[in-house]
This record gives sequence, C-alpha cells and structure tokens, in this order.
Amino acid sequence: MAEDMPDFSDVNSGVESTAVKIYEVKSGDSLSKIAKAEYGNANDYMLIFEANRDILKDPNMIHPGQKLKILPK
Amino acid sequence: MKHSIRYLMIAAIVTSTLGIAGCKKEAPPPPPPAPAPAPKVEAPAPAPAAVSVGTITLGKTIGADKKVTAAMDTFAKSDTIYAAVETTGSGNATIKAKWTFHKSEKTADVSEATETIAATGPAVSAFHVSKPSGWPPGNYQVEIFLGDKSAGMKKFTVQ
Repeated sequence: MAEDMPDFSDVNSGVESTAVKIYEVKSGDSLSKIAKAEYGNANDYMLIFEANRDILKDPNMIHPGQKLKILPK
Repeated sequence: MKHSIRYLMIAAIVTSTLGIAGCKKEAPPPPPPAPAPAPKVEAPAPAPAAVSVGTITLGKTIGADKKVTAAMDTFAKSDTIYAAVETTGSGNATIKAKWTFHKSEKTADVSEATETIAATGPAVSAFHVSKPSGWPPGNYQVEIFLGDKSAGMKKFTVQ
C-alpha cells in the first residue's frame, strides 16, 4: 500500500566531489544554467568555459551531448 | 752454366708455385657475428587501477575535503544528510546514490543522484539529500552504485 508511505516529492539532492566531474550537455542547457546547478552561482559560467576551452570556442555555444569537465570549486 | 740456369728455373717455378699457393690460401673465415642481443621485452606499464569505492560515511556536514566532519547514523527531521563516498583509482566512473525509506516490508524511493567523475587518484564524492518539510521519522538507507553494480550501503535513522 503506497498510500501508507510518506511523500518524498520535495526532497532535494545533489553531489559535490573533489574529482573532476563530467557533465553531459542536455537540450536547453547553457553554461550559466550548468554553473548554477554545479556551483550554485550562474556567474561562475566562465569557470566551466575556461576548463573546457579545448572543446568550446564560445561560451554561448554548447551542444547536447558535449561532455564538459566541471572542476571542483 | 747449364746448372745455374736450371737452378734458376727450378727456383722460379718453386717460388711462383708457392706464391700461387700463397695467394690461393683462403683467409680464415671471419668470426661469426655475435648473436644479436635478445630484444628487451619491456614490462608494460601497469594499467592504472580502475575506480573503486572505499569507505561510505554518513554525516550532516562536510568539510572542504568533502568528507563528513562527524560520522553519524541518526539524524533529526531538519538535517541535510550527506553520504561521503571515498574512491580510489583513476579513470571515468559513474557513481550513483539511491536513497530509500523502509517501513516494515515496504520500501519507498526517496531520491537518486548520479555523477560521472574523471578521477586521477583518491577522491571523495559527497551526496546529499534534504527535505524542506522535514524527514518522516523511520529507517532509511543509501546504497552506492559504481556503474550498475552495488558498491556499498549504509543504513540510518531519522528521529
């Protein structure tokens, strides 16, 4: 009886790591959005851009499927 | 005089014969070349160890090293709960934390979080969950997966 079980729909979760994380770009992503999710601050998007200069030429141009390195902050 | 000429002729013949024989004498064969040294078989560099999960520690705060500052297995309703997962080895690895609530024989999914890391050595990944409306008291567990295989589990209680 699932009705007996508590509701966990408002649970927030996340993960931080001392290792470099690999983030796969999804449709609708921007570096600001990823920075907000990963670092808690959209303004940190340049950290992601700089860490991925080998595959990114423009911080406004990312594509689904790209795998970005997210350095520990 | 006749004898002198004869002697000279014999001497010439003997000399030329010896000379020819000397010329025909084959030079001793050159010593066989030293066998080439066996090619050194370099031991292949040991492959870096793949990522493996070590200790899993629960707590309600973490430090800059992502390790929990005080290990515990009982939490309050308002706590943020961390599961610090220590890994060793190098390479890309996907780690998942699956949080569940257990009541009698029933289980409810609480949350799942997954991350892919590019590890270059020992690392710590700190998964966390929080619930703004407060955790229902009871028994919980977090199971850690490396790829699709379970790599460890911790049980905890909310009071």
